[in-house]
Amino acid sequence: MAGLVYRTGFIFTILGNMVYIVVSYFLWRSIYQNLTTIHGLTFNDTFIYVALGSAIFILLKTYADWGIGYEIREGMIAVYLTKPVDYEFYSLFSSLGGMLTNLAAISFPTIVLLIMVFRVSFSIGPGLFLFPFSLLIAFLISFFFDYMIGIMAFYTESIWGLSITKEIIISVLSGVLIPLQYYPLAIQKILFVLPFQAIYYSPLMMITRPNQGWETLLSMLFVQLLWAVILFTLSRVLYHQAVKVLRISGG
Amino acid sequence: MLTLGEYLRLYFIIEAQYIKARMQYRADFMISSIGMFFSSLATLGIFWVLFNSIPSLAGWSFIEMVFIYAFYMIAISPMQILFDHIWQIRFEVQQGTFLKYYFRPLNMMFYYMSEMFDIKGLTQLAAGIILLIYASVQLGIHWSPIRIGLLLITLFGAALVLISITVTAGCAAFWITNAYPVLGLAWKLREFAPYPMSIYDGAFRFAFTYILPIGFIAYYPAQVFLRPEQISPLVYLSPFVGVALFLLTYWVWTKGVNSYSGTGS
Repeated sequence: MAGLVYRTGFIFTILGNMVYIVVSYFLWRSIYQNLTTIHGLTFNDTFIYVALGSAIFILLKTYADWGIGYEIREGMIAVYLTKPVDYEFYSLFSSLGGMLTNLAAISFPTIVLLIMVFRVSFSIGPGLFLFPFSLLIAFLISFFFDYMIGIMAFYTESIWGLSITKEIIISVLSGVLIPLQYYPLAIQKILFVLPFQAIYYSPLMMITRPNQGWETLLSMLFVQLLWAVILFTLSRVLYHQAVKVLRISGG
Repeated sequence: MLTLGEYLRLYFIIEAQYIKARMQYRADFMISSIGMFFSSLATLGIFWVLFNSIPSLAGWSFIEMVFIYAFYMIAISPMQILFDHIWQIRFEVQQGTFLKYYFRPLNMMFYYMSEMFDIKGLTQLAAGIILLIYASVQLGIHWSPIRIGLLLITLFGAALVLISITVTAGCAAFWITNAYPVLGLAWKLREFAPYPMSIYDGAFRFAFTYILPIGFIAYYPAQVFLRPEQISPLVYLSPFVGVALFLLTYWVWTKGVNSYSGTGS
């Protein structure tokens, strides 16, 4: 709800997102000028992938790293340490609230724009049914990364550097900017064993190519779930280590 | 009124203090500088992936795109290094701390911007220069003194274009307080600057040339060096576009500063 106070903000975010989609449209149209498919993807596939990628990017940006980093640096974390609440779950649910607002205010208009203005046709298949689950797990993975970066503030105090480094790694390796099929095969092999593809590539493929068959789709979902569990475990370990070095100046 | 020399001296004094304060978080500073370097190379990585699948983008080869992108990286550095404080303006305006800038016998825009000097932006500048040298060697561009002069002039104009767009977006804070989304939009537009303007249809190309002239940040000025035989006279206007836009921005800033009446607190 706090986000709704500054309503003009949404208008500019939606506008920014739409300009991005229009620019992507021109860019990919020029790339597909003399080609019908590249790496098995048609223009329609790639455009849906990239356009929805930008809409999902806004959803999965939890800003939890900035929030947690700030609370640690300013010493506000002490308040949570004295209360019987789990700090990780507390942060998770406040990020989830922001995501739901963005879903209604930004992602939904984007999909409407895609259908109305660009007249893209979505394929129908089981992938569409699995997409909401895939997106939710992607959100959890993204959150666990942000949370762990935030926790690093116990050591480095300011987390600006770590946070942008994480953002670059994710934007290049997760397939949010360009479908992973475009990468050279050797690099693809590496990217698929890393956790980043589970954030963007998996949910985006479910909606771009929903007809891949249950087996492929479910195994994608399973890999996502596996990464979510691994990263959650890591985040618990990290928190319990980090909280020991906490020192708060002043008060 | 202070002279330009006095302003310059003052700037170094303020920056020395600022850098000392930043060094407080040493680990973060180191990671930030490294992160900034790689962040500027990330887009290049995407170009590389893309050019693995296609031979050229709207008639431009990979190495030509590297040149345009290197030009872009250098052109956006002055904004990053010298005007980074614009991102904080919404907090200052919201919390009323902006009032302090009214009480010094200094140019307000100078005083406000001088409070931050983004050291890590220097790594981006360095990456841009290295890339520009690499691309021009690959392309066999001959750097005569006249061309180097032309490069400096076009870079100056291009840098002013981006500074103007971003600072104007930040000035929105004086009227709507939360300027962050407006700045975010300007920031996003900036990312489209290194793409060939020829990929856009009429209306968008017109907008990116005349209304939100991001074409003048990299694509048009870079053509002076890449395809000097086929550029339009418009390209030679780029330094003037930058200066004119900056004057306009300064006017908006002055309007904003005069209409700001503080917040309740």
